[in-house]
This record gives sequence, structure tokens and C-alpha cells, in this order.
Amino acid sequence: MAGVAEESLVSVAPPPTSMAVARDPLPADVVDVAVVGGGINGTGVARDLALRGLRVAIFERNDLAFGASGNSSGMIHGGVRYLSKAPHVTETSCRDSGYIQRIAPHLLFRIPFLMPVRSGPKGRVALELIDAYFRAYDDYQPLKRGQLHCRLDPAALAALEPGLVGAVVGGITFDEWGVDGARLCVLNAVDAIEHGGRAYVHTTVESIQRIRRAGEGTPGGTDGAEPTATARDRYVVSARDRATGEEIRLRARVVVNATGAWSPVTAALGGLPQARVRVRPGKGIHVVLDRRITNYGILSEAIDGRQIFVYPWQNVSVLGTTDDDYYGDLDGVRATSEEVRYLVQGVARVFPSVRAARAIGTYAGVRPTLYAFGKNEDALSREHEIVDHGAEGAPGVYSMIGGKLASYRLFAQELSDVVAERDFDLHVPCATHSRPLPGGDRVPDALALAERHALTPVAARRLVYRHGSRALPILERAARSPAEAEVICPCEPVLEAEVRFTVAAELARTVEDVARRTRLGLGACGGMRCAIRCGHVVAEERGLSPRAGLAMATDFLVSQAKARLPAVGPAQARQEALALAQLRSSLGQARLSGRDPAEAPGRT
Amino acid sequence: MTGADVSGDRLAGARSGSPWRPVVVVVGAGIAGAGAALAAARSGGAVTLVDGGAGASTLSTGAVDRAPWDEPGGGPAPIPAPVLEVLTALGSHVLSESGARLLTTAGIERPADGHDAGLLDVRPRTRDLVGVVACRRPCWNAVSLARAWGAARRPLEAMIVRHVDEPWLPDADFAARHDDEGRLGWLAERLREALARAGETFGALVLPPSLGIERSRADRLSRLVGVPCGEAVGAPGGPPGLRFERARDRALTSAGVARVVGRATEIVPAGERWRVILDDPEAAAHVGVADAVIVATGGLVGGGLEYSPAESMMASALPPFARPSFRATLALPATVGVHGRPLDLPSTLFGATPESIAWPFVADGAMDRAGLLAGTDGVVRPGLFVAGEAMADRRRTWLDALLTGVAAGSAAVRAAISARAADPWLGGASPSRS
Repeated sequence: MAGVAEESLVSVAPPPTSMAVARDPLPADVVDVAVVGGGINGTGVARDLALRGLRVAIFERNDLAFGASGNSSGMIHGGVRYLSKAPHVTETSCRDSGYIQRIAPHLLFRIPFLMPVRSGPKGRVALELIDAYFRAYDDYQPLKRGQLHCRLDPAALAALEPGLVGAVVGGITFDEWGVDGARLCVLNAVDAIEHGGRAYVHTTVESIQRIRRAGEGTPGGTDGAEPTATARDRYVVSARDRATGEEIRLRARVVVNATGAWSPVTAALGGLPQARVRVRPGKGIHVVLDRRITNYGILSEAIDGRQIFVYPWQNVSVLGTTDDDYYGDLDGVRATSEEVRYLVQGVARVFPSVRAARAIGTYAGVRPTLYAFGKNEDALSREHEIVDHGAEGAPGVYSMIGGKLASYRLFAQELSDVVAERDFDLHVPCATHSRPLPGGDRVPDALALAERHALTPVAARRLVYRHGSRALPILERAARSPAEAEVICPCEPVLEAEVRFTVAAELARTVEDVARRTRLGLGACGGMRCAIRCGHVVAEERGLSPRAGLAMATDFLVSQAKARLPAVGPAQARQEALALAQLRSSLGQARLSGRDPAEAPGRT
Repeated sequence: MTGADVSGDRLAGARSGSPWRPVVVVVGAGIAGAGAALAAARSGGAVTLVDGGAGASTLSTGAVDRAPWDEPGGGPAPIPAPVLEVLTALGSHVLSESGARLLTTAGIERPADGHDAGLLDVRPRTRDLVGVVACRRPCWNAVSLARAWGAARRPLEAMIVRHVDEPWLPDADFAARHDDEGRLGWLAERLREALARAGETFGALVLPPSLGIERSRADRLSRLVGVPCGEAVGAPGGPPGLRFERARDRALTSAGVARVVGRATEIVPAGERWRVILDDPEAAAHVGVADAVIVATGGLVGGGLEYSPAESMMASALPPFARPSFRATLALPATVGVHGRPLDLPSTLFGATPESIAWPFVADGAMDRAGLLAGTDGVVRPGLFVAGEAMADRRRTWLDALLTGVAAGSAAVRAAISARAADPWLGGASPSRS
């Protein structure tokens, strides 16, 4: 065993950026670490380990960022809520926010928040306390390039945001950073791949088996024995591609369970006690409004006193969020109209113009909060925890439980330190805080690009936001083939070249995957104008038939309709009815309900 | 106007000896309303049509379906003669006995019972190569569409976009440019050039929605080019809806139907007759008391029906009372219902959840099927009729709206005549046919 570890240390001694294949003595079906789960924890740890020179494989049952990571409020916050109880958490959070700005400067955007303080018997005292609290938070702002807080009197507050209603004693501002969580996952996965890793998306792990060799394990037992197993690997991970049915078997020395709310399910596949990886699944929803109704994040209280907010995101506004125990199907988490009502009602209390805007969608995810019985949702710890399953007879199997988007890099680093040292005797320092994510180096100037490539400034700005310096290869594609320069999603200017790029280089396999990476079809028209074209492009890029493309466009449109409907109010119902009627008349009702009329006996 | 005035009117007409015609008011100018007005006029009614503006018919894509096109067992059914007469009067649509096949910009070739005359029916040319005219137009990628439409569809490069704004111009505006004969000639020349350049022989050409809004220019273009040319089925709000409006206006004028532009707010009984109240008093002056009123105000899309739960979920305060989640936008003595029954009062002040009434969560839920409950030929009460999507439980298709419109239009005049015949004061006077 030690010999193997020695060998691996020697073999990774050259900088891991050099050709991963050349140094790799491993057979094709062997990896160092199998990471189950393509959310931010899984992709984050995969990138970290790949940068340290280990060969990783990511398995994702759905798409990268399918769960909580792609459906969060999208904030790299500084952990202001931990300030009084655990100031060191705030400090590390702020420091890490600064690191993420360094490695993905294109992906972050500043959200100035307004926190109105309502008049009342204790209003003035509350304002003093909040002011003092944020004065303490100010000390950490330089770590994350944040602005210091401001205390506002009612007139200043009204001047900044005239839409606020209700009597206030004043308010304060503070400053946080927003991020596109789905893109953050994708970039981590892409970087892991570029450092010798691989990723299997839409591939579900079916079993994780311990390889037993002569002299260890059950006496005389051959269950799961692999004749070709070397001393280096300890587990066989079997997975199946959910679209093609193809089986994938990889041998790995270490298995990381980073499946968030799915963690107990994954643990069961490896025969591990589920109680050790228990999470308390907390569903959170967001409502997307069709325009920027404010230029600030605005905090408000829901009817039960929970803090909720509305904030601007590019050309839309986002309302969030709920936190409710969730016992449903994790692959089909959806906002309900009750949850939408709860949020809208709460925000409308201080900012009534949310009622005037059109809701164009909702999204929902399930937080994998640390398990506790008898606490209400908001009181649950947002901390993270590494579970080492060595104690259950599964050395080298770890579960990542809990965590949050803002601290993903730290969590990944903590686990990678353990894995590298304990399982590979590898002493390479973490590099994820200093090495830029793909596209995070030399971010180009969007306006100059717009001019050079005859794009609208908005299209160029969005492209650079999403891809940083990798906007350049996308625009090169478009320049080579003018058809790819076509904007196929007019609402969220997305070029055909970008769609093809996400399929070719970012693991997108369906229209929904493309939407997750580019926001295609998530604008005001709900994909009515672009999903079908996108389906054709994705199918072409993947070598599938146009019918397959149409089928995935249809899936996307139906799931978008389901996400939109719970937020539909009277004024929107008419537009929604038109959109749905158009959808059904152009695609066919039967096709949309899963029966392809081409196969059904019907009209000639 | 009082009840006495009303009977006075009727008696005056009878005494004067001039030929009596039942007065019919149609509310709604979509395909159901236009069908009702034309049918009523042909049956001898004196018809006034109240036009409240664009609705679902203006947004129609030009495909004519009786039932949703992909429902198994739909099949072409015989179309009643009065409906065919109305279609002929409109002159904008073609019915196809054996069924048409249309190409959609979604990349599908789909069956239809008929189509707007500007669209290309590829059924007669199943063996021919169809050229997909490749040009810079929104939502139009000839290469990808040709591939999706199947083997015998090939892109054909042609410079049919002439001015700098045209790659982005909405379909309807682009189509309007081809109402000009000169521009159409230019288009034909470009297509002829493209055909001459092509190494293959094309049996037909399919274009993006573009061929006129005054009337379809497809026939004229086909003659100029020498092969059948037509549009693909595009998105709502394109040229076929506008061509319908123009055709409707021409047909109504030549049928002698009076048009009043305005929004009806209420329909109230006036003795045994009906009065339509309009929001604009000036317009109202042109709408008298009617022997029959036909309500063809459309469904949720057209604006005849409104989704309005007691609490719009965007409100912060509770509403004072619960009410059904749908209501007619026009106040009239008819009941909004679904599946043959009046809508239930929901047991929540917030109104039924959208998930429980709307596709794709439920099929045929209230969001799709709610409307005014009516009997045969759309009769709600004596002299009060409903047609088209305003009716509950109908298939929401163009041809179905026309069928119900024509049925209501004819029935309204028949009922008015027999009511008069049964009237002891007026019985026996026979209506004149226009």
C-alpha cells in the first residue's frame, strides 16, 4: 500500500497542469477519486483534487447544478449572520468571497442591499443595534472588496428606493456579491476535466462495492472481487447513463458522496448506514419577475417573521426564499402557488410594486442542511461536515454533508486536504483559491468585443459575464461559421455558437442543460421563441435526429410551463393561456403529453 | 329605452309594411363572431357587429383544425353547407377534403383540415423536392428546418431580404411589404434566379411568414415564379391573423353587416328582446335593441373570460369574499361553467390554485375549458346565444369556433322569426331575404 502511495506521489510531482494523460499510469477504468454528485460540493472537491494531481471522475444523476447549487439565491455572502456567535466564520467567509472574486471575476456582481427598519416602539433601538452590528461587519469588508455599510434616515431611504412603503425609522445598506451558482458548478467541473478528470452527467450511480482481496475482507468471500484490481483501488463504482442505458464501471481508491439532499440515498448504494449522513432537506423557492423592479436588494419580513428579499438579477428580479421541510421526490422539486403567495405577500408589504410585475417563472431546490430533530428550519445549522466512513468499514469513503454555495471552496479544500494526505500521502497545497476558474483569467472588455464582432452590447456583456475569457473561442466559432452568429434566444441574447459551446465543452446534453448554463429560454417568453431551435442545435451538435431535438425542447417547454403556472396571476393568465395554446398547436398536444403522434395511429 | 318603446318599434315596423328583418347584434369580431354575423345576414337578419379589437383569431397561425391536430381519431368530418358558404365569402382560407399537410417553423410537418391561403400545403407534392428558402429572418433557419422537415426538403439560398431592417422586422411587417406588386415581382425574380442556379428541380418553395397581409400573395407569387410557393406556419401574431382580419372586413362589408367599434360591457333584457350596453356612448348610439344577441367574445386568450381568483395572489390583504376563479368579462345572464356544470365556489379566499386547473398539471381543466354554459346552437336564453371560445367545453380551434359561430348565427335568425310568428300581434309577417 505504501509503495503504491509513494508511486503516486512521485508520479504527480510535475505540475498538474502539464499533460495529465502523459503522466498517468492508471488503466482507463481506474481513477483515484470517484465523486458522486455534480453540485457545488462535488465539482468543487473534484476540481481541488484534480489541481493536486489526482485523477477524478464526477458522476451526476441529472445535470450539473441540478439540485440546490443551481437553484439557490446565488450569493457569495460574507456570513454576516454568524458575526455575533462565530466571528471566525464571518472572517473565513469574507476571505473566501475575496478568493472567489479572484478566481472568477467575471461571474460575480455586486448587490447593494437595503434593510428598512420599521417604526414602532423599538424601531429606533433596532436601528441602533443593526447599525452597530453592521459597523462590526465593516471590519471584514476589505477582505471581499465590499463597501462599508451606510445608515440612512427615512428621507435618504426614500430617495434611494421610492417604491418602499410603510413608516420607517431609517435603514441601513450593506453590500454582498451575487453569482450564477449553476455556472460556478460547471466551471469547477470543466476545470477538473481540464486537469485530467472526467465527468459523467445524466448518469446515476447504482452501486459502490468494496473490492475484497485475498487476505482481507470476508473470509473466502469473492463478492465484488475484481481480478484486475491493483492494490491502489478499493471500490468499484457502477453507474448507468439514464438516457442511453449504457453501464459505466470505474475502480477508485476514494469515493466522495457529495449528493446533497440525495446523500442518504447514495450512502445506501454503498451499503453504509444512512443515519450517518442524515440531512434535514429544506425546500427553498424563488420567484422570478420579468423586470428589474429595483436596483437594490431589499430585505423584508414574511408573515412568520422570516427574513425574505427581492433583488435584481440582470434584467429580472428575484424573490426569495422559503425554507420548509421537504419529503417529496428530489428529482422533481417544484414551487407551489402557496409558496409563491407567501413570498409575494411578504415582499409586497414593504415593496408593493412586486404585485405589478409579471412573474415569469419560479425555481426550487432542496438544501441539505445538517440533521437535527425539534428545531425549526431557520434555526438549523448551515455549517458543513465531513463524514469519514472508515469507521463503518469503508476506508476512503467520505460524505460531504451540509454546506452552502458561499463556502463551497473551503469545504472542498477541507475534504481534499484529508483525502490527499490520508489516502494518497500527497502533500500538495490547495490551489483553488489562486488558480483562476476557466474564463477567469484576463476577462475581456465586453464593449470592445461587441464592436469587433457586431454584437449588441447586451449580448456581449452577457457572454462575457457567463464565459469570461472563454467568450473569445465562442466568438471565434461564430466568426468561422456565420450561422452560429445567430442569436437564437432573443430574450436572453444567446448565440447559436454559445449553445454549441455548452454542448461541446460544458457537458450540456439537453435544452434544459443549455438553459441552466446560458439562461436561454428563461426570459420573458419562457422559451417559446428559442427552445425548439435550441433543441435542433443540441441534437445536431450531439449527432442526434431532429426529432430527438424536438423531444428535448418539448420536455423543457413543459417543465417551464409547470414552473411558471404557480406564479400566474390574473393579468398573466391570459398571456399564459396564449403561450400554452401556441405551444400545443405548434407541437401537438399528444406530443407534449408524452405520446408522439407520429407513432400513434391517428389521422393521415 | 323602455319596454313600451320597444313594442312600439316593432309595431311601427309591422304597420309600415316594410319587410321585417330580425335585428341581430353580434359581440366579438373573431372568427366565431364573423361567422355568426355572416350566417345571420345570409339568413335574413339585419346584423350589427360590435368589434372590441384583436383577439385569438388575430393571433391565429393559419392552420385550420376542427379538433387539435394530433388527437387520434380526429379525422376530417363533413362541413355543413352554411359553413362552406361563409368560408367562401371570407375567401381567405382553403379547406382540404383529404386533409392538408403544413410545415411549421417548429420543424414539424403536421396535418390540418385546411389552411390560410398563404400557407403551403405540401400534401399534393409528397414526391416533389420542396425548397426551403434560406434567408435572414427571425426564427427561420432553413438548413435546420429542412433537416427537421425530412428528406425531400432542401434549403435554397435566395436573397429575398431587401432592406437593412428586414432581418429583424416582425413577420407581419415583413409580409406587408409584399402587398406591393413591385416588391412581389422583385421577390419572384430572386426566387426564379435561385431556382435557375440550383442544380435540382424543386416542386414547391416554402418561405417564412411573409406573403402579404391585405390578402395572401401566395397564388400570385406562384404564378410569377412558376412553382407553388407558400408560407410555413409561424408564431401567433403573424400574417395569417392579419389576413383574416382584412378578409373578414371585406366579407362583412359586402354582406351589409354594420360594424361598431367599441367594447360591450353588459347585455340586459329589454322586454323579450336584448340590449347591448357599450362603454362608449357614441358607439352605443349605433347599437339598438336586438331580437337576438350572439356573444362571441372569446375565451381566456381572446379576453371574453378572465381568470380572477378572489385574491389575486399579488395582493397583501385578504379579499372580502370568495368567488369562482373565472368570470366572463361581459356582464350577462349566463353562467360560467366547465364540464357542463357551473363553476364551484372554491373553499379558499385565495382562489383555486393554478396547479389544480391548468394544463400541463391537469388535462382539460378549467383554464382550458371554462366558458359560458349553453345548449344546442349556443342558446343560453331565448334570443341570447354564445359562440366560439366563449362557450364552455369546446375544442379551442379555429374551425370549431367558425362552426359554432355559423350555427348560432343561423339559429338566432330562425328563433327570431319563429318568435315573431308565435306573437299574436305580429304573427304571419314573413321576413325578407337580403
